[in-house]
Amino acid sequence: MSVQQRTLDCKDLHSYLKTLTATVLDRLYNHPATCLAVFRELPELSRLYIMRILFVDQAVPKAIMGSWVSPNSAKELEDIVKLLTELRLWQEVEMQGGLKGWLLNPTFRRNLKGALLGGGNEWSMKPPTDADPKARGIAILDEYAMGRWECVLHFMVGSHQHEVISSDALQILQHAGLMKKEPGENQLTITRDGFQFLLMDTSAQVWYFLLQYLDTATARGLDLIDCLGFLFQLSFSTLGQDYSTDSMSDGLQKFLQHLREFGLVYQRKRKDGRFYPTRLALDIASGPKKSMLNAMTATSSNQNSGYIVVETNYRVYAYTDSSLQVALIALFCELMYRFPNLVVGIITRESVRQALRSGITADQIVSFLRQHAHPECYKEPPVLPSTIADQIKLWAIERDRFVYKDGVLYNQFDSQADFEILKNYAQERGVLVWHTTHGRKMVVTKEGHEEVRKFWKRHSRNGSM
Amino acid sequence: MVNVTKGILVEWYVDLKNDAAMKQLLLHLDETHALGNKFIVQDLDETHLFIAPEYLEVLQTRIDDLMDRISFPLAERETD
Repeated sequence: MSVQQRTLDCKDLHSYLKTLTATVLDRLYNHPATCLAVFRELPELSRLYIMRILFVDQAVPKAIMGSWVSPNSAKELEDIVKLLTELRLWQEVEMQGGLKGWLLNPTFRRNLKGALLGGGNEWSMKPPTDADPKARGIAILDEYAMGRWECVLHFMVGSHQHEVISSDALQILQHAGLMKKEPGENQLTITRDGFQFLLMDTSAQVWYFLLQYLDTATARGLDLIDCLGFLFQLSFSTLGQDYSTDSMSDGLQKFLQHLREFGLVYQRKRKDGRFYPTRLALDIASGPKKSMLNAMTATSSNQNSGYIVVETNYRVYAYTDSSLQVALIALFCELMYRFPNLVVGIITRESVRQALRSGITADQIVSFLRQHAHPECYKEPPVLPSTIADQIKLWAIERDRFVYKDGVLYNQFDSQADFEILKNYAQERGVLVWHTTHGRKMVVTKEGHEEVRKFWKRHSRNGSM
Repeated sequence: MVNVTKGILVEWYVDLKNDAAMKQLLLHLDETHALGNKFIVQDLDETHLFIAPEYLEVLQTRIDDLMDRISFPLAERETD
């Protein structure tokens, strides 16, 4: 059991890759598109390092590499060394004369070279040889993508007037813990995580959803490496361009159909032999942090741009006709009036508490209101009245007057010396939460307990001998 | 010999250090068996308590209820 309030952990590309095993990573780097995608997401300094040693076909001594940055940036160097090692982009090797050096992962080196210089096997997706007689424009693709994606969200908020989503999507929602089936019930119900998910922005949602999908990829008979490779390929494709499905394996075809369902690719007919990637797909490799989708939100007309006005008297005006958006607002608002293109609600203590109880955090509500603020609000900052933002946070704090931490209490020490030794040990490990010398009591974190316990066993055994 | 107990450390929210009233409330709930039984394992100091993990949820609801009783609606809701 954990007592910490859990927020959805949305990893970026690198943190996701770090969770993969070494063998999977090595196989992944067999694909030029992957190497390029990983490379372009690296921090600048690491890219510089890789570029410098990319064409050096041997290990480079650490001392030399260290001299490439000025001494006051030693910390940054440390960070990139850690990152590159964790991603298995390079590894430490012993050079002649006992020098330690770094050697670029040979697979990664070969394929990054291939991606940059060309040559080798064709790695980007090919357009079909003949032009599509029914070519689709960017506007249609955007509309399609958002439509499909909203269908999933609609399903989650339980507005059932829309078409039902497939069993694969259902499984993923359940696997991701966004929805669950209560025992004895047929309907899926939304979970705490699900509520948080709804308030995330679209690119973060897509990314989170895909990570969960990839988690189960192997279980549904797909090859994780192929899928990831394909996703990275997609992220290098051009919006509005159609691509051929001819060279795709059966597994990938199946994967493509799933992506199609969520609106990541558009295909008019399954047997068409061509597909169009949509903006949702182009975004993937950059993860949740920077996204083209936001650009789309800013440029496209009413539907996606902000629609919420919040007044200092807690009133919320939402200029929208989308039942999804209304449902989202109803998560933390009491709705008062509803017009064809406008919904009026009020933020009350009760409605916010209701949201907090279902697992949404105050920050998520506030950032949701800011993110979807009506363009008019931007003319006179602050976009969201600060009284409202503060009050929502205060309502949340009111519920958390206490901070709860899982821990293990140690007391009844025989001697002051024993207590000191154990306390110092826990302190050094950074697992000591609280202690008092007065009654010889200490609390260590749940995670640190095992370590401290082992230490204590060793210590007391030595002591008694 | 050393005694080891698993549980939950209760601290006060940062801004509410030394919220003596809230601590008294917890002690009161404990003494009166309001949650069904005693739940405080150790009264550590003015700002720390150590409680049994199984009572966390019911305790949270209890405090939530209490805060609910002593609040009043802020927003005006006149119809215009």
